[in-house]
Amino acid sequence: MTTQPHTKTFTPSRPIWCAGCGDFAVKGVLEKSLQNMGVAPHNLMLLAGIGCSGTIQNNIECYGYHALHGRVLPAAIGAKLANPDLTVVAAGGDGDGYAIGAGHLVHTFKSNPSITYIVMNNSNYGLTKGQASPTSPTGYRDNAEEGMDAIMLGLSLPSTTFLARGFSGNPEQLEKLMDAALEHTGSGKGFAFLEVLSPCVTYYDTHRDWRARVYNLDEDEGFDPSNRTLAFGRVLELREEGRIPIGRIYKGEHASLESLIVNRDELPPAQQKIGKNGHGKHYEKFIKSYLG
Amino acid sequence: MSSNNNQPVLEDVSVIVAGQGGDGSLTVITMLAELFRHSGLNVYTERDVLSRIRGGHAAATMRAFTGEKYCIGSNITLLLALDQEAVEKNAWQLDSKSIVVYDDSGGPVPPDLLPEGIRLYAAPFNRIAMRTMRRELYKNSIAFGVVGRLLGLEDESIRETFTKRFQRMGQVILEYNLEALGLGLHLADEMGIHEGEGLYRIEHATPEERLLIIGNESVAFGFMAAGGRFFTGYPITPSSEVLETLQKWLPRCGGVARQTEDELAAINMAIGASLTGTRTMVATSGPGFSLMQEGIGHSGSAEVPMVIVDCQRSGPSTGMPTKPEQSDLNLMVFGGHGDFPRIVLTPGHPEDCFYLAAQATNLADKYQCPVYIAMDQAISQNIATVKPFDLDGLAVETGKRLEKEDLEKLDAYKRYELTEDNISPFAAPGTPGGMSLVTGNEHDEWGLVSTDPENRIRMMNKRMDKIELARNELPRARHFGDPDGEIGFIGTGMLFGVILEAIEILDNDGLKAQYLQPRTIWPVLEDILEFIDKCSRVYVVELNAQAQLAHLLIHQGADSGKLLNILRYDGIPFRPGELVKRVFEEESRFMDNQKREAKAQ
Ligand code: SF4
Repeated sequence: MTTQPHTKTFTPSRPIWCAGCGDFAVKGVLEKSLQNMGVAPHNLMLLAGIGCSGTIQNNIECYGYHALHGRVLPAAIGAKLANPDLTVVAAGGDGDGYAIGAGHLVHTFKSNPSITYIVMNNSNYGLTKGQASPTSPTGYRDNAEEGMDAIMLGLSLPSTTFLARGFSGNPEQLEKLMDAALEHTGSGKGFAFLEVLSPCVTYYDTHRDWRARVYNLDEDEGFDPSNRTLAFGRVLELREEGRIPIGRIYKGEHASLESLIVNRDELPPAQQKIGKNGHGKHYEKFIKSYLG
Repeated sequence: MSSNNNQPVLEDVSVIVAGQGGDGSLTVITMLAELFRHSGLNVYTERDVLSRIRGGHAAATMRAFTGEKYCIGSNITLLLALDQEAVEKNAWQLDSKSIVVYDDSGGPVPPDLLPEGIRLYAAPFNRIAMRTMRRELYKNSIAFGVVGRLLGLEDESIRETFTKRFQRMGQVILEYNLEALGLGLHLADEMGIHEGEGLYRIEHATPEERLLIIGNESVAFGFMAAGGRFFTGYPITPSSEVLETLQKWLPRCGGVARQTEDELAAINMAIGASLTGTRTMVATSGPGFSLMQEGIGHSGSAEVPMVIVDCQRSGPSTGMPTKPEQSDLNLMVFGGHGDFPRIVLTPGHPEDCFYLAAQATNLADKYQCPVYIAMDQAISQNIATVKPFDLDGLAVETGKRLEKEDLEKLDAYKRYELTEDNISPFAAPGTPGGMSLVTGNEHDEWGLVSTDPENRIRMMNKRMDKIELARNELPRARHFGDPDGEIGFIGTGMLFGVILEAIEILDNDGLKAQYLQPRTIWPVLEDILEFIDKCSRVYVVELNAQAQLAHLLIHQGADSGKLLNILRYDGIPFRPGELVKRVFEEESRFMDNQKREAKAQ
């Protein structure tokens, strides 16, 4: 991993997170996985949403982008479709991804672009001082609703290809999951969805609770992540038992979005040279069809 | 075939076909347009539909003419009315010289509906279709026979056009339609309208090379020709054709056109693509445009190039989706939270759409900010003949781009570097040595978040001042009419063609007038203010209720005492004659006021 020796670019800043925040583990693991997978900083586009977790791009050497609240997925898809050769990683919190951006999550599951999406789930809104989030349990700060499980949402869509959950308290496993996610997108297999249980020590410290409740499916011999029906049943069962399933939950196959819509007979959009004849050889044909 | 040389040569004819939605009015009009074009005439068509698939009144209008015209004219030559409502809804456009062809299957036209002395041809097209062909939809092809004869079209060329159009739908459909046309021609004979004995003589000329195109298609081509390679949109009337056109053509040259789940995804996906250095555009209308506001402001603040096509329709809220309006101007010029730079261009004809779209694509890339193309439903969807686009004359300018080799020569690369011209060079993701941060948060030169007050001022000024720099190269207004004309006109979009023709009528009536068609409305350029200075009074014609353009001009220094508003927001496009009438009403009110003021002094 080398950068240009002479050109100074921005110096990744130190994270602004509270000491003990789960997001530190996510950052550390992501950096390691990028190294493991040989992703050069200049080929990495790291897009982040709004929230505590949405500052991670400032802390890593990359082409970084800070998206609007809830819009990190469409932005990441746009980047991937315009330049499929980039490694595109989107990151954000559970508020960003499951509340204001929930519609885009459904459609990203549906369209299967080869981007990695890391959701740092802390089950509250840390940045705005602890309000209930879509994953907060009933009763948290008078939350009247049931918390949602995005993995189950993903399982319900037939085009999902990679669903996993890690825990910041288990960085070794998280690194394996992160490697697998980057491998999945790096080989153009589609959308890698990785939720990380990442406790907020300041407003809603779930660390001990989650440590007690996680259930590691990677260590469950009877579990088969390539079986969607089994995965759905198992996740549902564990949820009903009050457990939180972690590990590789589902891995399937489906054509990736970019493989379906980017015309590989030509250079991808971002790599085309724009100039006087930027309209290319096809243009005359287009006009002819209107001459009638 | 007999030919009667007493008939006038066809120079300017306007035809309306009206009935219920789904009756196929648009098909008839499109075929007429094709026929006239093959005879060497230019055409312009307009549609008036409800936002429904079937049902409700629907009308389409076509004008065929020699020379250059950019709207439907004041006089309607012929109305093909497929039911009574068609007469009721369109009687206002008729005068004693008009002709009505009426489907009287449901009974005769009520006597007091039509202007005195009008020529009426009635025949039960629907009944004949049902009786002979067992399908109502063939009534159009039967009526076509009668209308075609009246307009002086030759049977053979009508048959050719039918063949060309219906062949695509299969041999059976073609044969049925030709049979129906035969019934229509036979009916015309019975009605005494023989071939070559219509109202006009069509002088065949070799058609000049012309595209038959709508503004939405032109905008798509202009974008593509200027190197545009990424487009997103969500279907919405009247902008959907931009999406459809680009979905069809863009992939063939390696581009991507994507229909997203909503407009929020559309604008943000476009931003993501633009971040990679790809020339990117979105198109939308009314409600979708409101949804995109946050993203557009973000593109201004994060300095991400973006072209936004707004096909304006009647608002607010869902408004009247199929009707033209120019009421998003405030949102384009002042919309979004916070201060950010933007440019607003406005074409007046499908031909102009091409050139302005190309220019918008260049400008967005160069100034790294949002650039709007302000359309209206009529400009977006009316079909017109336009000269083939001049690709050789098209400037395709790249923005300030840094490649690997350029970066190697630099000591440091800062995405938001403060430079003399306020434009920071851009390195695309994937380029070694160009790693950077892009954010809509206030940031320093590196793109790191900053709330430092001095940095804030520097960065805000850097962004806003780009527009001052852009001024010199923004599209200038076009001037028409008598440069010494006392009264002036300003109007944009579809009003271009209408005002152009209105000043001719005024000139014939002895009132000298001049017209300025702005092509950039933000920033407001000197040319508009100078024009207002020069005229003794200026009519600002607009399709909105609040006189948004006039207020903008006053806000930018125009003398409010000189501006008179002519506003329309009923969803109906002006005809030149109507506009002239409104001008004379305003003129007499103006004169009365002058007199009253003179007396008071
Ligand atoms: S508020 Fe919570 S989520 Fe945010 S940085 Fe602090 S600990 Fe982490």
